[in-house]
Amino acid sequence: MMAFDSLADFIQMGTHGAFVWSTYGLVLLILAGLIANTIQGRRKTLRQLKKRYSRETHS
Amino acid sequence: MTYLSYFKAECLALFRTKQRVVNALLFFVMVVVLFPLGIDPSADFLSPAAGGIIWCAVALSVIVSLESMFKENYVDGVLTQLILSGLSLPWLMLIKVGVYWGAMVLPLLILTPIFSEMLFLPSDSLWVLISTLLLGSPGLFLIGSIGAALTVSLKQGAMLMVLLILPFYFPIIIFSSAAIKAVQLGMPYGGLLALIAAISLLALVVSPVMTSLCIKASVR
Amino acid sequence: MNWVWFHKLGSPKWFFQWASKWSTPVFYLGLLCLLVGVIWGLVFAPTDYQQGETYRIIYVHVPAAVLAESCYLSLGVAGLVYLVWQMKMAPIFIKSMAPVGAAMAAIALISGAIWGKPTWGTWWVWDARLTSVLVLFILYMGIIALQNTLEDVALANQAAAIVSVLGLINLPIIKYSVNWWNTLHQPASFGLTKKPAMPMEMWLPLLISLVGFYFLVAGLAMWRMQSEILLRERRSQWVKEKVMNDGV
Repeated sequence: MMAFDSLADFIQMGTHGAFVWSTYGLVLLILAGLIANTIQGRRKTLRQLKKRYSRETHS
Repeated sequence: MTYLSYFKAECLALFRTKQRVVNALLFFVMVVVLFPLGIDPSADFLSPAAGGIIWCAVALSVIVSLESMFKENYVDGVLTQLILSGLSLPWLMLIKVGVYWGAMVLPLLILTPIFSEMLFLPSDSLWVLISTLLLGSPGLFLIGSIGAALTVSLKQGAMLMVLLILPFYFPIIIFSSAAIKAVQLGMPYGGLLALIAAISLLALVVSPVMTSLCIKASVR
Repeated sequence: MNWVWFHKLGSPKWFFQWASKWSTPVFYLGLLCLLVGVIWGLVFAPTDYQQGETYRIIYVHVPAAVLAESCYLSLGVAGLVYLVWQMKMAPIFIKSMAPVGAAMAAIALISGAIWGKPTWGTWWVWDARLTSVLVLFILYMGIIALQNTLEDVALANQAAAIVSVLGLINLPIIKYSVNWWNTLHQPASFGLTKKPAMPMEMWLPLLISLVGFYFLVAGLAMWRMQSEILLRERRSQWVKEKVMNDGV
């Protein structure tokens, strides 16, 4: 069922392997960046709020 | 305060700060001059590009002239008084935009034939250029006033305003320069003029309401 | 028709609890669908008889482009909801969604450019679709910039809602004008957007990948909205308890 005969064929992607794989690489990069940004934003929010609340309770 | 007295006050205020309008017009001249200097001064390039060049310069100078539209009123509290005046804020905004439009468009209409001559625009296209300016510039001012109201509370809001508002100018610029191209190619352009007028009318309906919403949110 | 869900949606607390139940499964479901769709598309889908293997870029390009537009549509609707009903959740949604939409538009633009090089021989053409996605990207960046620049929260909410609504009104006009402008300037030299009807084995993975993108974006948006809710509702007791007790 596979469209390719060998792994080398798969990596080659006909003649334009570099284009296909660089696209997928960049897409992966952007998606990973977005996900990382989301998680980081969440952590930062929690850290900020925790600091704020503990300051409130101490003072 | 009545609508008429507000109109008079706006005219007077604009007349007192007329240097601002002059600056915007000088900016228009500068942008137009950039194109022959920067790209190609030959008639082969300029003649087909003239309409687009003038329109880009108009769009940019309109944004520049509108940027400070509400600033002073914001700082000295006039906007608060307008909100409290009991008059409908959207109408007041419409009057203000109208005054600015009148002050800018008349000198632009005088400058346009001069610059279209300098850019080798064929003289039969000049009338189309002027009608696109007359029909499209209200749209530019109305949309631009929303941007000015959005950024009124910022000290350095000009860049943000350009970024926000320029995409909304694209259709007007595209249709206007297309109409000028069409007349140069001998194609019908009436439909394009109608489209430009339609965009301006849509802006006329939407913009005063949006502007006053922004003003109300900014002044508190 | 029961409108209770609509009122519930207006409550940040209710939404937060609903989202903490659903965001993670939705995200992973999206990731799974995306992986299945992409691997199926890359490995098992048949070779295109015109473009060869290069067409396999479609499995990320088209979903991203669709998502870029859907996200903007949702932003516009949220803006309208905020302007009409002043619903608290709408600006939270706009703020969380704008960067996601911008990322989708960026993916669509980049993958389109890389796809363009082998098929049309240039990285960029001023094609109607490409240009309107570019404009979309600029609009997203404008909304993000607005949110980051305006410090007053109420004003930022209002401003973002207004720009979103304006974009909703203007997007069809921009699309139409760009389309029109494109046909005038470029007599159809590139017919690439008119693809031949795809066989089932090709579009099924595309569909799965599209669904994957939708779920992924929904999950990410929920996560971002949760953080935003915590930040905005920081003065209310339930947020304090939540943060101090389990760290969420």
